[in-house]
Amino acid sequence: MEILQDTTKLNALTGTLTDGYFAKVPAAFESRRNEAKKALETLEFPTTKQEYWKYTRTGQIANKSWRFADNFDLPELPISIEEITPRMVFVNGVYSEANSEMEDVKGLEISTFAKAKQGYISDLAPYTDYSLSPFLALNAALPQDGYAIRVSKNIALEKPINIINVYTGDTTISQPRSVIYLETGAELKITEFHIHESENPTLSNTALEVQLEANSTLGIDVIQKGNDTSYHMQQLDAVVAGDANFTHNNFTMRGKWTRNNGNVRLKGSNTTANLNGFYIPNGSEHIDNHTIMDHEQPHCDSNELYRGVMLGKSTAVFNGKVYVRPHAQKTNAFQSNGNILVSDDATVNSKPELEIYADDVKCSHGSTTGQIDDEAIYYLRTRGLSATSARKMMVGAFAADVLNTMVNPVWREYIEDVISHELSKA
Amino acid sequence: MLSVKNLHASVDGKEILKGLTLEVKPGEVHAIMGPNGSGKSTLAAVLAGNEDFEVTEGSVTFLGKDLLEMNPDERSHAGVFLAFQYPVEIPGVSNINFLKAAINERREAHGQDPISAKEFLQMVKERSKLVELDNKLTGRSVNEGFSGGEKKRNEIFQMAMLEPKLGILDETDSGLDIDALRIVANGVNKLRAADRSFVVVTHYQRLLDYIIPDFVHVLFDGRIVKTGGKELALKLEEQGYDWIKQENVPA
Repeated sequence: MEILQDTTKLNALTGTLTDGYFAKVPAAFESRRNEAKKALETLEFPTTKQEYWKYTRTGQIANKSWRFADNFDLPELPISIEEITPRMVFVNGVYSEANSEMEDVKGLEISTFAKAKQGYISDLAPYTDYSLSPFLALNAALPQDGYAIRVSKNIALEKPINIINVYTGDTTISQPRSVIYLETGAELKITEFHIHESENPTLSNTALEVQLEANSTLGIDVIQKGNDTSYHMQQLDAVVAGDANFTHNNFTMRGKWTRNNGNVRLKGSNTTANLNGFYIPNGSEHIDNHTIMDHEQPHCDSNELYRGVMLGKSTAVFNGKVYVRPHAQKTNAFQSNGNILVSDDATVNSKPELEIYADDVKCSHGSTTGQIDDEAIYYLRTRGLSATSARKMMVGAFAADVLNTMVNPVWREYIEDVISHELSKA
Repeated sequence: MLSVKNLHASVDGKEILKGLTLEVKPGEVHAIMGPNGSGKSTLAAVLAGNEDFEVTEGSVTFLGKDLLEMNPDERSHAGVFLAFQYPVEIPGVSNINFLKAAINERREAHGQDPISAKEFLQMVKERSKLVELDNKLTGRSVNEGFSGGEKKRNEIFQMAMLEPKLGILDETDSGLDIDALRIVANGVNKLRAADRSFVVVTHYQRLLDYIIPDFVHVLFDGRIVKTGGKELALKLEEQGYDWIKQENVPA
């Protein structure tokens, strides 16, 4: 017998949120904001009766009285951000100019979301239906500072831009909203670092819209450093034009509740889209990666590689939907989800969903869940490695396939340190 | 160096070793032969610390220490090395990186500083030559996609890198053609030293043409029932194990 979930209307939640500061959005966004507000009048928190939310409960979020933060001081962080440049720093969804360090680069237009110049904002059409993810409507109705980036035609930015989001406070909600627009032939690399630094509940409800024009290249690494009181809801919507390349990697380094929705529309032919993820939940943490790869045109490639290392009583969900539309011949779509259960008490629900309407395509998916190979551990130990080192080495090898896809490897060591730290406790 | 006394060991409640006694002095090579199922590989596994096997009676002393009290990595640090009959494939773990980590953990256990990159690479270069192991193989994932012969050569290469005091070879010759066998045996011979001993577990006498043992022991029904020189291996090759079985009909 399933316990019925709280179906509080999201509107009740927004009622407790004031929108004083947040009233300011780009004029081009105003109509979408009003649509979202209207949608919230009827939207409810998702329940496990909905297929899209089957394994992820939202009750723990619905039953808390979230409020926007009133303190935007940057706390002490486990990493030194001084050397990480260029960077934009946000505390509880609000831009912290004092802690940021940006430089003027030809062809790069970068600002907070509210200050984004007109033009491309209105071009970005909402892709995900609010009924599928009501959290997205909440973000669109009350968006906070995120970044807005536009890169001009044929400008390739060499230095990755670092976006650092810090969440503090007690029962605080933050709603960064960001947009990236690459003109034809432009190139950009982004690292988003989200860190929850509070012993009390914090909720980050983020949205990122990406539009890539022809032949452009975008790579994004998202590093989510949660803790056992953090909730992270992340929405990515990308529209990719012909001959463009898009890579998005999620590294979920813990977090009580994490849901990543990544939706990519391959709108032109000869595009490549990669969605990858790594997660290492512990305790009773829950991580859910939902992806949609929508092949509309022929000759496109998509790749998805998600790997998890499951500790404690954690649970993970992977759901990868691939559409291949009738016109999308010669599609190559690959998907793989692998999990290591370090603990016997961890659970994984992995589900590929392929909907193929074209007849000349290559699509494959694979899902594996298993223990660390005891025989391999024994072999390594006979060579002098301790049990912990042997386990770290095996997990490191398993994670490496995802880490190798990082667009900005500067952050790799940080991720490897967190993995090593988690395994030392296991 | 190694003193095994009245060793009894079982797996899944079934007793395999039933009172095995073996004395190995520094520099000696002991061959352990015997029919299938006599307990040869069990002896190798128990000495290396495989936890699937339970020691129910007896003692094993290695360089004055109780070997049975140590876990597999401690045994390795103390100088025990097992060349596996079936080396394990470990995708994604590089041969070189894991060996470096293994060497450094042993050095740490002995209070030594980590090996320098230069010294390590020099070692790899020299020792891989001992078994004619291709440089490409040393950098690949552990045993992944290696042929049978390459896997066995990789075992001997690892042994050369870890410089054990006691090398246990568990049917290292099985499945090798004569060229591969010669390469592996030459590698072992080059590692023979006054302070390094070997226990060579084999089913076939052929290996002992290349690695000349000081002693040959015949293992039958969990016990050593006969000990001799290298000529004992030749007799076994000619006459098989039936005469051993007849001499040792359980009472």
